[in-house]
Amino acid sequence: MTTRQRLDLLARAHPRLFPRTELQRLLRDQLGDIDALDKWIVRNGVRIRARAPKIIYHICAGNLAVSAWTSLAHGLLLGSRNVVKLPGHRDDSTARNEILAFIRSLPAPLRNLVETHRTLDTGLLRRADAVIAFGSDAAMDSIHQQLCWDQKFIAHGHALSLLWLNDPNQLTNRQARACALDVLTYDQLGCLSPQAIYVPPATDFDALGRKLANALEAQWRGLKKKPARPLSVAARITEARDVAHALGHRLWLPPKNHLGWTLIHDPDPAFQPSPLHGVIYLRQVAPSRVQTALASVAGRISTVGVAGRLPARLENIFLSLGVTRFCAADRMQFPPLTWHHDGRTSLADLVTWIDADPSA
Amino acid sequence: MPLPRDFAQPPVRRDWVRQLLGPVNEAKWNELARDLFHWQFAQVPAYRRLCLAHGVTPEKLTSWRDIPAVPQQLFKQTLLYAHDSEPPAAIYVTSGTTTGQPGRQHLLKTDIYRAVAVEGARRAQLFAHDVDLHFLTPSPTEASYSSLSAMFGFWQKARRQISPRPQFWVRNGHFEFTKLREILTTQIQARQPVAICGTAFSFVHLLDAWAGLPPLRLPRGSWLLETGGFKGRSREVSKSELYAQLARIFSVRDHAIWNEYGMSELSSQAYARGTSGLHHTPPWARVLVCDPATGREVGVGKQGLVRWFDLANTDSVLALQTLDLAERTAQGFRLIGRLPRTEPRGCSLSAEDIQARNLSPTP
Repeated sequence: MTTRQRLDLLARAHPRLFPRTELQRLLRDQLGDIDALDKWIVRNGVRIRARAPKIIYHICAGNLAVSAWTSLAHGLLLGSRNVVKLPGHRDDSTARNEILAFIRSLPAPLRNLVETHRTLDTGLLRRADAVIAFGSDAAMDSIHQQLCWDQKFIAHGHALSLLWLNDPNQLTNRQARACALDVLTYDQLGCLSPQAIYVPPATDFDALGRKLANALEAQWRGLKKKPARPLSVAARITEARDVAHALGHRLWLPPKNHLGWTLIHDPDPAFQPSPLHGVIYLRQVAPSRVQTALASVAGRISTVGVAGRLPARLENIFLSLGVTRFCAADRMQFPPLTWHHDGRTSLADLVTWIDADPSA
Repeated sequence: MPLPRDFAQPPVRRDWVRQLLGPVNEAKWNELARDLFHWQFAQVPAYRRLCLAHGVTPEKLTSWRDIPAVPQQLFKQTLLYAHDSEPPAAIYVTSGTTTGQPGRQHLLKTDIYRAVAVEGARRAQLFAHDVDLHFLTPSPTEASYSSLSAMFGFWQKARRQISPRPQFWVRNGHFEFTKLREILTTQIQARQPVAICGTAFSFVHLLDAWAGLPPLRLPRGSWLLETGGFKGRSREVSKSELYAQLARIFSVRDHAIWNEYGMSELSSQAYARGTSGLHHTPPWARVLVCDPATGREVGVGKQGLVRWFDLANTDSVLALQTLDLAERTAQGFRLIGRLPRTEPRGCSLSAEDIQARNLSPTP
C-alpha cells in the first residue's frame, strides 16, 4: 500500500478529523514530497527517500483520546506497524473506549496495521523503532529508562495552556464565545486547554465576568454530550468554589450552581493550576510582570490563545517562557495537523532518510 | 441575637470543656454548635465570607447540619484563627505531603485540645488496661509543630502515674528501633502490656527495620495504634497488608490494632479497631458523609466525603470538609481513604506536578 492509498483511506474514514488537503500538506511540509516513502525523489541534485519505522509503539494517556488518534494517524500515514498501549484500568475508561472506537472505524487495510495492548509489553517496547508517549513527566521518565539508545522517543509530558485577552473591556460576544469554546472543549482535560485567562490592568471585571459567564453557560448548554461529574470531580469543583468564596474572590457561577463551569477572578497574577472540569481563573497582570507570574510553569506552556492582537513585546515574553504555539481564541483545541507538536515535527522526527548519488 | 461567648476567656473555655465532656443530647449538641458557629462567624473573616456565600448566618441557622464546612485546603491558603489580636500558644502544621504546601492550625491555648484528646482516647477504651506507651514520633518538645506529637504528649502526661515510662522513639529525626526492641523485650519478659502508637509510615519503617528478626509476643492487653498515610514517606502498603504484618510481628490479633482518624486542622479524633472496623467519633464531634455535588448527607450504604463537626475546635473553624472518601453506615462511617486525584490528567499539569517538579523560574 502506498502513502497516497493510506492517505486516501484515512481521509475518507475521518474527513473532518483528518482532511485530505491537510494530510497532503503535512507530508509535503515534513517529507518534502507525498511519495517520499515510496520512491526516490530528487532534492538539490541528490536522490533521497524516507524509511518509516517498522514498529511504532504509542503509549496513550488516560485523559483524552484525541492525542492518540492523531499519533496513530501519523503512524498510519507512514505505513508502520502501530502498537497501541491503551490507558490502564486505573484510568477513566472514556478515553480507552474512544481510542478503540476510532480503531474500529478504520478501513480494514489501515486497521490491520494496528494492534492494541492493555498492558505495557516491555519486549515489544524495546523492539519498537519509535515510541510516542503521552502522559505525566514521571511516566515519560519511566518509559525512557526502558528504551535503548537507538530507539526514537517522542515524549509529550506535562504542559498547559492559557488565554490572553488583549483588550478585555472591548471583548466582543463572539470573542467571549471563542474563549468559552476553548475552555469547555474536552472538559478542559488536555494540555491545549486553557487553565487561566490573563488580562491586562484596568480591566472592568464586572463586565468581562458577565460576558464570559454568559458565553460559558451558552457553550455548556450547547454541548451535546455533557461531561460527567462523578464524586471525585464534584469534590474538586466545589472545593475550588468554596476556597474562592472564603478568600473573597469574585465568582461567576452557572444557574442553580450546576457544576458545568466556574469562573473565578483571583487577584494573584501568579499562575496556579485549575482543578479543570470547567474551572477557569481570571488573572490580571501587567505585561512587565508576565514573566514573573508564569515563572513556575516556564517551559511547560504549550499554547497561548489570543483574543485580539498580541503586542510584540508580550509575544517576546511568551517566547522566552518557552511557548510553542500562538493561535486565535477558539482555535486552541484544534491545531492544524501541519503544526508542530510541542515544538517537534510529528512525521519528520520519525523517519530515517536514505541518500543516494544520482549516478548510483 | 445575644453576643457570642468569648472563647478567649479562660472561664468560658473551662466551662466549654465541662459541657463537652458532660452529657450531650441532640438539643444540647445543636445549641453548643450554634454557639460556637456564632463565635467563629464573628471572629474568622474568611469563614464569614464562606458562610455568607452559602446564605448561612447565625440568625438563620436552624440545624448544626447546615453549618458550612471549610475545605481542608483553605488552611493552606489563609489564616483561620478566631483570636486575631492574641498570639497562639501552638501552631500545628499539616504534613503537606499531597501538595507540598502545609496548612496551619492555630490554637490560642492547648487546654481544650488536651482535654478532648485524652478523654477521646479514654472513651474509645484505649486506656482500658494499664499499658506502657511507646510513640513512634518525635516528642512534643522536638516537634512542637506536630499535633500528633502534642496529642501523644498529652496522653503521656495523663497516664504518667499509671505508666511511668512512656517514650518517644524518634530522636533528631531518626527512629530508634533497636532500643525500642530492647525495652519491649524486657517488658514482654515482665508480662507488662504495651501500646505502640505511630503513623502508618513509621510502622512500615519499623517492619523494614525488623524484617529479619523473629516476631515479638506482646503480652495480653497490648495494642497498636496507627494513623495517617504514607505519601512520600515510605513505601506504600495497603491497610490490610500492614495490619496483617503488624499482627504477625507483634503476635496480636487484628482487633488489637487501632486506627486513629484525625488531622491537624481538628481537635478531636475518631477511632476504629481492626482492618474493617467502623470509625466512631466522641460525643462532642460528629461526621457526616456528604455528596459534594449537593452538599447533603448521602444515604446509608453510599459513599461520600467526610465532613467533620468538631465542637472542640474553638480557635479556628468547627466544620471541616475533607477530601476523605467514606461509606456511611447505620452505626457510623467506614473510612475508605483519600480521594484519588480527580482523574488521569495525562499531559495536563496539576499543582502536585508543579510542586513535584519544582520547576525553576526562568532567568
